[in-house]
Amino acid sequence: MGKAEYKVVGGKLVKAQVEREDDRILRVKITGDFFIHPEEFLEELEEALAGKLLDESILKGFIRSLAERRGAVLLGVSPEDLAKCIVMAGEGDG
Amino acid sequence: MVERWRLLDTGLNSAYYNMALDEAIAVARSRGIVPNTLRFFRWEPSAVSIGYFQSMNEEVDVEACRRLGIDYVRRRTGGGAVYHDRDGELTYSIAVDEDDPLVSKDFQKTYETFCSGIVHGLRVLGIPAEFKPINDIVVGGKKISGNAATRALKVVHQHGTVLRQVNPKLMFTVLKVPSEKIRDKMVKSVEERVTSVEWFLKREVGFQELKEALKRGFEEAFKIELVPGEVTGFEEELAEKLRGEKYSTAGWNFRR
Repeated sequence: MGKAEYKVVGGKLVKAQVEREDDRILRVKITGDFFIHPEEFLEELEEALAGKLLDESILKGFIRSLAERRGAVLLGVSPEDLAKCIVMAGEGDG
Repeated sequence: MVERWRLLDTGLNSAYYNMALDEAIAVARSRGIVPNTLRFFRWEPSAVSIGYFQSMNEEVDVEACRRLGIDYVRRRTGGGAVYHDRDGELTYSIAVDEDDPLVSKDFQKTYETFCSGIVHGLRVLGIPAEFKPINDIVVGGKKISGNAATRALKVVHQHGTVLRQVNPKLMFTVLKVPSEKIRDKMVKSVEERVTSVEWFLKREVGFQELKEALKRGFEEAFKIELVPGEVTGFEEELAEKLRGEKYSTAGWNFRR
């Protein structure tokens, strides 16, 4: 399990825990003091991230497009911030 | 004619009941059982709340809370961990129909609108408060109020704090700090970054005076009339159910 914390510009803190298999995400948990509407979107996102490549630009695009499809609004955190933190955590695993 | 909202003052309650009643009011509003509502409340015992996306074990020293008899609860809103002191904090919540003209599709804008009630109320007391995006209210750059909102069932629910007094030492006994070594440093840093009504005005301000100022602030900012009302039977029953089955359970509080 790799862990990372990432301070977003503007002050919010994102934390990620990642279990990886080779260069892919096996499991990810994201916590922090940001806002996402609807709130349930984060759990759906965590599930959808399983199996994805640990690549910042791929993850950023994936998170952005899933949020758009679901009409989810992120406040205090961006798809880029989440992707960055997940990759950092992934690098710490194994 | 000025729109009339219900004003509730539910006094001191446990963290579990407080969060349950907030949700129950939002549900009642969504069903049209009650009008738009502003509620004032306090915490007994003192409590810690964490944001929806936070982990209780990462943010809160649960053992210290148990030792000190402090409640800990996860909110239905995002945002950060907050220590709610029984005597130091007044908390408010708002439940508003999503179609109300005060509500924007833009979440950031709605924070600013809803927080304007608090900003006006603090100015009534002579405190030059300002809204600071995303969800804070500050005085001279120091935080005096934190706020968090969610939307569900076509209702916007926002709750937030107004600090009457600050107690950073107790705050960092119950909130986790990265290491013991920096606890004192963090206490000091809070003293530099956070202020309170009494600290700023250099005089005692009772809860009654604070509530009256905030009531006027909301009425002026929202162009509404706040009419003192009661919690309905529906809300009371639902709150009791949500307290027992959701907010007081480990399944909810330790979910992340």
